[in-house]
Amino acid sequence: MKAWLTTHAHACERAIKRLISQPMVTFLSVFVIAMAITLPLGLYVMFANVSAAASRVNTEPNVNVYLALNANEQETREVEKRLKAMNNVARVTFIARDVALAEMKRVANLADLVASLEANPLPHAFSVRPSVSDAATLESLRASIALLPKVENITMDFEWAQKLRRFGTFAERLVLLLGLLLATAVVFVTGNTIRLQILTQKDEIEVSQLIGATRQFIRRPFLYFGAMQGMLAGLAAVLAIMAFVWWAGAEVSALTMSYGASFSLTAPTFRFSVAVIALSALLGWFGAFLSVWLYLRRVTRD
Amino acid sequence: MITFSDTSKRHRNGFEALKGVSLSIEKGEIVAVTGHSGAGKSTLLRLAAGIELASQGSVMVNNQNVKQLKEPGLAVLRRNLGLVFQDHKLLFDRNVFENVALPLSIAAFSHKETGRRVRAALDKVGLLSREKAELITLSGGEQQRLCIARAIVNRPAILIADEPTGNLDQAYAETIIDLFKSFNQVGVTVLLATHDETGLARLKCRRISLVHGKLAE
Repeated sequence: MKAWLTTHAHACERAIKRLISQPMVTFLSVFVIAMAITLPLGLYVMFANVSAAASRVNTEPNVNVYLALNANEQETREVEKRLKAMNNVARVTFIARDVALAEMKRVANLADLVASLEANPLPHAFSVRPSVSDAATLESLRASIALLPKVENITMDFEWAQKLRRFGTFAERLVLLLGLLLATAVVFVTGNTIRLQILTQKDEIEVSQLIGATRQFIRRPFLYFGAMQGMLAGLAAVLAIMAFVWWAGAEVSALTMSYGASFSLTAPTFRFSVAVIALSALLGWFGAFLSVWLYLRRVTRD
Repeated sequence: MITFSDTSKRHRNGFEALKGVSLSIEKGEIVAVTGHSGAGKSTLLRLAAGIELASQGSVMVNNQNVKQLKEPGLAVLRRNLGLVFQDHKLLFDRNVFENVALPLSIAAFSHKETGRRVRAALDKVGLLSREKAELITLSGGEQQRLCIARAIVNRPAILIADEPTGNLDQAYAETIIDLFKSFNQVGVTVLLATHDETGLARLKCRRISLVHGKLAE
């Protein structure tokens, strides 16, 4: 056990020495790998933020039925009765025109404008919650409602939310694909850096093998080197994303607020950041393993 | 300790470097393999060290058939041998101390024990005062002695040396030969390839001659 720990300590020490001995090469390699990690990580963070915002949006289908301005109370009651009697309708909520106006004043900061109106321009309305969500049934429901007397306008406000959800799924897959492609790039970049390291230490590898080094012994410092490089790149990528969130976060919040919405960018959590760094280290390790394995396979003795 | 049984070695290019060699080297023996260039001396030594494998026949070292050893087994075998290479195989990006410490690093010795053993080995070959020297500053003889220090730092039971006095002047060659004699006197089995007649006379050991890959009668 002590010998095992000693060999690992030696390998780790050698890997650190190699990283330090060529600072420019280390910096450039880490920079390239960090770039490859930052792109999918940044997209993922953006996607996670947008998803979190989208999850707060109600994506349940809702049909708003607006009556004619001249619809009296009896006619309104009749429409409500017939709406409730319809198939595929789960709930019907009546929104009186006075209530709608008061709500408009409160939500849209339009108090001054509303106060300047001589009369309430809003009609009585119904918010209908269908019990189904497929497009064909909803279309047929819309057609049935349109046939009711005094119904002037119908809007279905769930389509954009469904589109947003579909876009979210697409974006999720896109980030995953990009992540896989760039993870492969990380493996190749690390592998190539290690290959160059191997070439500069060809003599040492040859001599070490001749005097009794196993393949594991040869491989170990390179694996540590690859993992350390990956870890540093992962750390750099996480820091870059955090810096971006800090830098652009306030602007994004201000922009969304100007559209009357509330959205703020959230930095990756500590656990997520640790996972990214660990994954980067693992990819670096794997790239190094592949590179050394290929080299040792090529130089296998006669 | 080392036994060749009807051992042949044919290289990939078809050249047969050794042809049916049978010989046995006992524990504590010192054996010199002689012959012209291309006679198969280096091949014989490389087979004994497990660096190459026999095409036919077998090579037994410490009762282990080298050909049957897997990669980790071969590494362990080599770790227990002291190898002195014709071209030294020293690492010029490391200093004297670090070169000698390499086998101990492979064998996972602690820093403290490594320091102790490296200095003892350097002392034996007369290079203790140059432990921090860069290799480029060493003479040919010093490099050869450094190679020997690296070979003995693990305190091996078998020392295999390929042309250890090649390209050295007489005085240096005698120092090297004396070193091998001193190792042999403490029980180390020595197998060396040489064509240095003066050194052989000084060594007074068993001689094996190879001619075109075959043992000479």
